Amino acid sequence: MEEKSVRRGFLLSKGWLQAVVIVMLLGFTVLGILAYKTYEDGAPVPVKVFDPQGQLLFDGDDVSAGQQVFLHNGLMEYGSVFGHGAYLGPDYTADYLRRSSNIAIAGNGGPPVDQDGMEIDGSDSRPDPAGDVARQKTIDQFRDNQYDEDSGELTLSQTQADAFRKLIPYYTRYFSVDDTEHGLRPEAITDPQDLRNLTAFFAWTAWAAAADRPGKNYSYTNNWPSEPRVDNKPTANALVWSAISLIALLGGIGLLFGAFGRYRDLGWHGREQTVVSFRDPSTVSLTPGQKSTAWFFFVMAVLFLIQCFVGAAVQHYRAELTSFFGFDLAVILPYNLLRTWHVQLSIFWVATSFVAAGIFLAPMIARREPKGQGKLGYFLLIALAVVVFGTLIGSYLGIHGVLEDAATNWFGLQGFEYLDLARLWQVLLVVGLVLWAYMLFRVMRSRLRSEHPGNMPWLFFLAACAIPAFYAVGLLAQTYEQFSVTEFWRFWVVHLWVEDFLEIFTTVMVAYMFVLLGVVRERVALMVILLDIGLYSVGGVVGTMHHLYFSGTPSEHMALGAFFSAIEVVPLTFLTVEAWSFLQLGANQESKSETEFPHRWAVMFLVAVGFWNFLGAGVFGFLVNLPIVSYYEIGTALTANHAHAAMMGVYGMLAIGLSLFCLRYMIPSKKWPDKWAKVSFWGTNIGLAWMCFATLLPLGIMQLYKSVNDGYFEARQFDFLTDKTANMLEWLRLPGDLVFIIFGAIPVLYICFLGVKYTIARRGEGDGEGEADAELFTVISGTSMEDEPPDMPARPEPTPGT
Amino acid sequence: MNTEVLLAGGYGVLLLAGAMVLEWLSRHTHNRSQAWRTSGFDYDAQHDFWVCHKGEQLWPAEFDREKRLVRYRAKAAVCNACPAKGDCTDSNHGREITRAVDSWPHSEAGRFHRAIAVMLVLLAACELGVVLIRNHDPVEIAVLLPLLWVSVVALWWLARDLVRTPDGFPEAMPAHGNRIGRNKQT
Repeated sequence: MEEKSVRRGFLLSKGWLQAVVIVMLLGFTVLGILAYKTYEDGAPVPVKVFDPQGQLLFDGDDVSAGQQVFLHNGLMEYGSVFGHGAYLGPDYTADYLRRSSNIAIAGNGGPPVDQDGMEIDGSDSRPDPAGDVARQKTIDQFRDNQYDEDSGELTLSQTQADAFRKLIPYYTRYFSVDDTEHGLRPEAITDPQDLRNLTAFFAWTAWAAAADRPGKNYSYTNNWPSEPRVDNKPTANALVWSAISLIALLGGIGLLFGAFGRYRDLGWHGREQTVVSFRDPSTVSLTPGQKSTAWFFFVMAVLFLIQCFVGAAVQHYRAELTSFFGFDLAVILPYNLLRTWHVQLSIFWVATSFVAAGIFLAPMIARREPKGQGKLGYFLLIALAVVVFGTLIGSYLGIHGVLEDAATNWFGLQGFEYLDLARLWQVLLVVGLVLWAYMLFRVMRSRLRSEHPGNMPWLFFLAACAIPAFYAVGLLAQTYEQFSVTEFWRFWVVHLWVEDFLEIFTTVMVAYMFVLLGVVRERVALMVILLDIGLYSVGGVVGTMHHLYFSGTPSEHMALGAFFSAIEVVPLTFLTVEAWSFLQLGANQESKSETEFPHRWAVMFLVAVGFWNFLGAGVFGFLVNLPIVSYYEIGTALTANHAHAAMMGVYGMLAIGLSLFCLRYMIPSKKWPDKWAKVSFWGTNIGLAWMCFATLLPLGIMQLYKSVNDGYFEARQFDFLTDKTANMLEWLRLPGDLVFIIFGAIPVLYICFLGVKYTIARRGEGDGEGEADAELFTVISGTSMEDEPPDMPARPEPTPGT
Repeated sequence: MNTEVLLAGGYGVLLLAGAMVLEWLSRHTHNRSQAWRTSGFDYDAQHDFWVCHKGEQLWPAEFDREKRLVRYRAKAAVCNACPAKGDCTDSNHGREITRAVDSWPHSEAGRFHRAIAVMLVLLAACELGVVLIRNHDPVEIAVLLPLLWVSVVALWWLARDLVRTPDGFPEAMPAHGNRIGRNKQT
């Protein structure tokens, strides 16, 4: 009875908690102000757009409708707008800007253009004074902002209006062509109104990219993309904030390492570890909820394998656009559909592993599991499967034109990169994640009651709650909203959800694993978690804005995004180094252990996470982060390089590591496929490294060079991708992809299959629900603990598993 | 000279440099982590003992051949009476420090980094080889061949070392008895 009334106090000094709360509050206050600025000062969508004679060209509804045509046809998974999207097709902002400015130059007396708006070869090879005048006139016309804020009306110059009229047929030809030459399905978009609206949307983005902001000498997109025809070049802001963020990075790393070098006793350095002895995992009883996770991991592995196959097909389009080893794949599985699947599955399979690991760890933390958790687990799995396969089927139907308008939005696809799934599936996924958080709560309820809100059980639960909460923010991105606004909310999910809150939940889980194994003291783990939350959030929250340099948001987004995302690399570097020390504690095997450490490959996957966190998120991320680099680089293979190394390298490796940790308890020790765990470790890491270093990095460097030297438009054209050197690099990726799939993904599937097989075989064991006894969990012994003399004070926080 | 040759040569050098940096970083991280594990203790290499921040000496107590480490131990009576014991050790036999040559998981993490370095050099060799097949004017051969030779030599050296280095994963040591059951009441 006494135990119920005792609530354990906070294990650290209050300053730790206060620092984290202040950092979070400040970060989200700034982000709130930037949200307001996005709505207020984002590139405006005119109510009506006229030519100089007062004839209506298009209106705001047309732009919104065109945006929905763009999204619902999966074109953001084919090309991009404002630099964000996929990389096979062109960037349509840059594309429209180039073609329309060429047409305008011709209309102003400059060199003639063909029907696609491209200069006729050789037309400007000689000195051409008339052409120079025409070019200057075009610059003046494009930069002159005739948008009336009061009426919401915009008047374009005659040449801009002519360009719009001439480019409708061009984009009509492009999207309605009856073959697969572009990697899209034949006759992808044929409705004339849709094509007109789509062109209006492109025209609006191009207008925002060239027209000067009121009172400024740069455009709504901070002069992006680079385009000399409209005098678009990097702004002073891009240069200055690049320099400042570079200084912040170098200074920050120096300061942080200096400070911790001087005051380095955070509590876990230099302290001798208790001798541990691990219980054979297969003798640990599992609860019904824990057993249900075997199926989660199996589904995870299936989705991972599908994602790999789909990714291989996506890559093949880049190496051989119109033929998949002689077969016209785009008729059935066009590029934009495969990339939609690839990107969505990357989130789905990783999230499946995280969800399962949470369900698995919760009873270990709470030391109990209430009735019905197993059934809830299976229900959640089915709900997850409905969302996943609903998304895959819906996006197929949407991109193939079976669904239309609202039906596409609700059941097909919304089409935002990484938030491609239809609204119905998005809502259901949020509901599923809330259910998952509730599942964790019902397991941990009594434990939470007895703990200070700053201690690990609460942090575990709160970090879990943040996952549905921040994923739900994605619901604010509506396909009909102004594009800058949708991008703002989309990146709350893409950046804040992934890079901050998943990272925090990960840290809590990994730290808790070590605590449960008894190899790290709870106080030390709590320090690491709070340090992690604090340091990540200092840069990570406001750093979200580094995705919005050129999306029509004000320059404040660029300044703050550049600065804070640069200092985000500081804790990344520091915590990677710290993680080594922490991992060493977590798997300390210098002591004499009676039983083999059971999580060799789970820990090695964590080692890989540390490596890829530093390389993929830190080095490759910073490589594309400075505004001045991003200005030329955005939407090139360097972005893909960062995305693969960070997403697969950090979250993918972590998802596999978590699955191996949990499956180790489900598969009997004698049957544990250590060899295959080893193969999957080497297969995924070597395959991923090959992918990055053989193709993505060199191709990205080439594309960046092309962008700076020849122009962003040129760097995003098919001509670049089909260049013989680029094509050689694309093909060089093949061996790495094969290694990744055969030796990485397939062994993971096999191990997960064994998890299901042996969980079924152990059905009935330990299914007595309710209070669990101490034997349920991993048991650790410490020589010093049992030898402690009676006069020694008791250990302040015994690990839950002991 | 073909642009592709210049690009391949430059990128080949970049990969080789990347492999070298990775090797250095791996060693540096290992040493740093080792140093942090003994934070607050000074090692006297000449006389082979450690001194803790309270001035107590830790002398070699055991050499573990299998794990390739030396265990140093302070006097139990001194440590048990020390006010800093709570932040230093749980043991009542005196604080122990180990000096390891290559403990796990660093031993295996080291192999992981070495394997990535091997892969980078292999990739450099492959890329240079492919470009050499596609471009083989005398000047191009003069640029590519030496780089290819350096890559192959580096590859042979690193791969040989990788194969020879054990993973260091410790085996279970049942001879020391199982203490699991005696700890349930904690």
